[in-house]
Amino acid sequence: RMNLDEISCDKLATSIVFFFCLSDVSCNSVEQKIYVELNNTVPCVRLLNATHQIGCQSSISGDTGVIHVLESEADLEWPLSKGPNPPYMVLLESSLFTRSIMMKMKNESNRVAGVAVVVPNTSPPEFSPHTTCPNENTGVYSDNYGPNLAHCNTTVWNPRGNGLSYEEFDFPVFSLKEDNETEFIKQCYLDHNRAVNGSAPQYPLCAMQLFSHMHAVTNTPTCMRRNDINFSINPEMVCDPLGDYNVWGSIRPYNDTVFGHKENESVVIAAARLDSRAFFWEVSTGAEGSVSGFVTLLAAAQALREVTHEAPPTRNILFAFFQGETFDYIGSSRMVYDMENGKFVIDLDNIHSVLEIGQVAVHSGTNLFLHSDPVSRRNNTVNDEVKNLVNNLQSSTAGLSFLLVEPNVSQPLPPSSLQRFLRAQPIPGIVLADHESAFNNRYYESFYDNAANLNLTYPSDLSPEEQLEFVTDTAKSLTDVATVVARALYKQAGGNESLVNNIKADPKIVTQMLYGFLVSSNNSWFQAVMAPELKNILSRYGACVHPSPPEYYVGVAMSSTPTRLVQYLLANLTGAATNLTQSQCQKPDELPNESRQMYSYLWVQGIVPPNSTERDSFCVRASVRLTKAVSPAFELGEYASKDYSTWTESRWKFIKARIFLVASRDLEMLTLGVGVAVLFTSLLVTYFISTKADVLFSSTREPASAAY
Amino acid sequence: MNLERLPNEEKLTLCRKYYFGGFAFLPFLWLVNVVWFFKEAFVKPTYTEQLQIKTYVKRSGLGLLLWVAVLTTWITIFQHFRAEWGEVGDYLSFTIPLGIP
Repeated sequence: RMNLDEISCDKLATSIVFFFCLSDVSCNSVEQKIYVELNNTVPCVRLLNATHQIGCQSSISGDTGVIHVLESEADLEWPLSKGPNPPYMVLLESSLFTRSIMMKMKNESNRVAGVAVVVPNTSPPEFSPHTTCPNENTGVYSDNYGPNLAHCNTTVWNPRGNGLSYEEFDFPVFSLKEDNETEFIKQCYLDHNRAVNGSAPQYPLCAMQLFSHMHAVTNTPTCMRRNDINFSINPEMVCDPLGDYNVWGSIRPYNDTVFGHKENESVVIAAARLDSRAFFWEVSTGAEGSVSGFVTLLAAAQALREVTHEAPPTRNILFAFFQGETFDYIGSSRMVYDMENGKFVIDLDNIHSVLEIGQVAVHSGTNLFLHSDPVSRRNNTVNDEVKNLVNNLQSSTAGLSFLLVEPNVSQPLPPSSLQRFLRAQPIPGIVLADHESAFNNRYYESFYDNAANLNLTYPSDLSPEEQLEFVTDTAKSLTDVATVVARALYKQAGGNESLVNNIKADPKIVTQMLYGFLVSSNNSWFQAVMAPELKNILSRYGACVHPSPPEYYVGVAMSSTPTRLVQYLLANLTGAATNLTQSQCQKPDELPNESRQMYSYLWVQGIVPPNSTERDSFCVRASVRLTKAVSPAFELGEYASKDYSTWTESRWKFIKARIFLVASRDLEMLTLGVGVAVLFTSLLVTYFISTKADVLFSSTREPASAAY
Repeated sequence: MNLERLPNEEKLTLCRKYYFGGFAFLPFLWLVNVVWFFKEAFVKPTYTEQLQIKTYVKRSGLGLLLWVAVLTTWITIFQHFRAEWGEVGDYLSFTIPLGIP
C-alpha cells in the first residue's frame, strides 16, 4: 500500500530525480512516492466537423481537482456550490452518468476540474450517448426529399439517446474500470476527503490530475487549414480525417483496373456496416449495432459460395462492408461518390437493387422487419422491384422460426447506407432490421453494446478453444437470418429457383465469428485466416494475455482491425485456396491462369497441423478488394461541406491520469513566502557583510608588506 | 564603449549614426540613442556639439514613443482579435497555439 500521507507536492525535485531514475528500473524516486499513475483509463477525445467541436479538452498541463465521489444527483451541490476546495474532480458511478448531471457540471465548469466515470462489468438498464436521430443531416431525407419524414418527425429512431457523445466539455472526462485501481481511489477519498459532521475536510486532500490536451479547435475547416500552414515556425498537424477502408467482394470478379459503367451488367448489392462508436475513445464494441449485421452478411456470402459456383445467377452479387457509417456515412458516401465519378468498377446505373443488413439481434420468436423508402416507392418501377425483393425475402423464411414483416409503408428508412445510394438515384432497396420503428438496441453506440447485449453466453467450464467451437443460441438465430438473406439474394440475382432450398448458412462459422468479433479476436481460427504480417493486430497491446474483442471505432490510422478481419474472412469464405507458393502469391501475373486484376491473392497463415509447430500457410485467391473510405469532402477540399461527412479527430501529445495528495493553498503560499524571505534576508546579509568587509575581516589580517 | 574617452566629434558622429539608423525600422537603435546619450545631451556641461546631440536625442525619443504606441496598439488588437479573424489571423501568425482558438 502506497504511503502518501507525509509528503506534499514537490514537483521540481521529483522531475530532477526522475530524470536520473529513468534508466534504473528499481529506483526509489520521490516521484513514485508521490504520484500513483492510473493505467486502465480511457479518455474522451475531441472530434470536429464542419461547424462544431465535440468531446472533451483538458488544459495543457493537466487539470487537477480534489476527488469527490458523487453519491446522488443532489450531492452535486458539494462540488458545484457548497464545497470549500474547488475545483473538484467528480467520480461518478455509471448510474449517475446521465445527461442532467453532465450538463449541470458543464454549466459550472470553473468548479469542476474533470469527471471520471467508473464503468462496471454489468450494464445499466439502458444507456445510449448517441443522438436521438442518428446522421439526420446526411441521410436522404431533407426539405427536398420527404420533408415530413426528415429529422425524425415520424419515427424517432433512438429515443433513449441522450446526446452526450455530441456535447462539448471543456474539462477532461475519463473512464475507469471497476478494479483495484478504482478501489484505491475510493479508499483515498474516504481517508482524506470526507467531510466529518458537516465540517470541511482538512488538508492534505486526495486529488486527481487528468491530462488529455487536444490540439485541434473550433471546427474542421480551421484545423485542416492549420494543418496546411507551412509558413509558421513549427508546423504541426492538429487533426486527421476519420476514415479507413471499405471491403467489397463479388460472386463474379471484376477487373480492378476498368472503372465506370459496365454494359449489360446488373448487380445486386448486399451491404452492412462495420463500425461503431462510444462516448470514450476507441472502446466501442458495437455488438447489436454493427457486428450482428456484418457477421450475418459474411455467413450469407459463405452460404452462397457453392451454389453460385454450380449454377451462377444472372446478375452479379456484390457484398459491401462500409466503414465509418457512424460518422455521417463516410464509407457509403465515398463509394457512391466513386460510382458517380467513374472511379469504381461499376456505376450507379448498374445497380439493380440493394439489400442492407441493419441491426439484427433476433431472439427466437421475434420477427424481423423490412424497411423501405416510401418516397422512392412512389415511382412504380421502383415500387414493383421493392415488392419483388420483399417477396423473395418473405418466401425464403420457409421452415424458420421467424417472419419477415413490412412496417407501416409511410415510415422512412432507418439510418442506413442505403440512404446515401438513394441520395444519388432512386434505387429499390430494403433494410433488414430487428426493430419495427424505434431501435430495440438499448445501448446504441455505447460501450455497453457488447456480447452480453446479444445474450452471447458460454457455459462456464469451457476453455477458450472450446468456447470458439460452441454453437450458442445467438449463433443459431443469426444463422437462420443469414440463410434467409442468402436465399433472397440468390433469388434476387435471378438464380435457379429449385436450388434455393439447398442454401444454408453454417452455424459453426457463425458462432466462430461471433466469438472472434465479440469475445476474443486472438483465437486459432482468426489466426489461421490472417496474413502473417497482420497477426499482431488480433491481440491488442502486443503480448497482452487478456482476451479482448477488436475495437470498432473507425479511427484515423487507416489500419482498423475489423476491416482487415472482414477482408480476410470474406476471402476465406468466398475465395478458393490455391497451391501457389509464397513468391507466386505475390506475383501471380507470371502464371498463365492467374490475374491480379481480376482477383486478389492473399498469403494467409493457415492452421497448425496436429503434429507440427509450423503453420500450413497457403495462398487464397478471392475477388475481395479494399477501397478507400475517406469522406469525399477531404478529396474535394470542401471542409465545410454539408453533403459529405467532415468528421476529423484531434491529435494530442499524451494522455495520462494520476492521483496524489495535494496541500492547501495556504501551506503553499507559506512555503513560498518563507523561501522569498530567506532569499531577501540572505541578500541583505551579504550586502551588509560586503560593505563592512574591512571592519569585519581586517582586524586579524597582517599587512601584506610584512615579509620574512 | 565608454563615451568618456571619445572626443566630442566622434560622440556626435555616433549619435547621428544611431539616429539615422533608426529610420530603417529599427526603433531599438533610437532607444539605445536615448538611453546612452541622455547624460551627454542634458546633464553634462555645455560643449559645442552638445546642441546637435540634444536634437538627435530628442528626435530619437519622439520616434521611439511613436513606435511604442503603434506596436502596443497593434499587439493588443492582434492578441484580442486573432481568434475571431479566423483565416486571416492564422496566416498572420508565426506560432499558432494548440488547443485554444
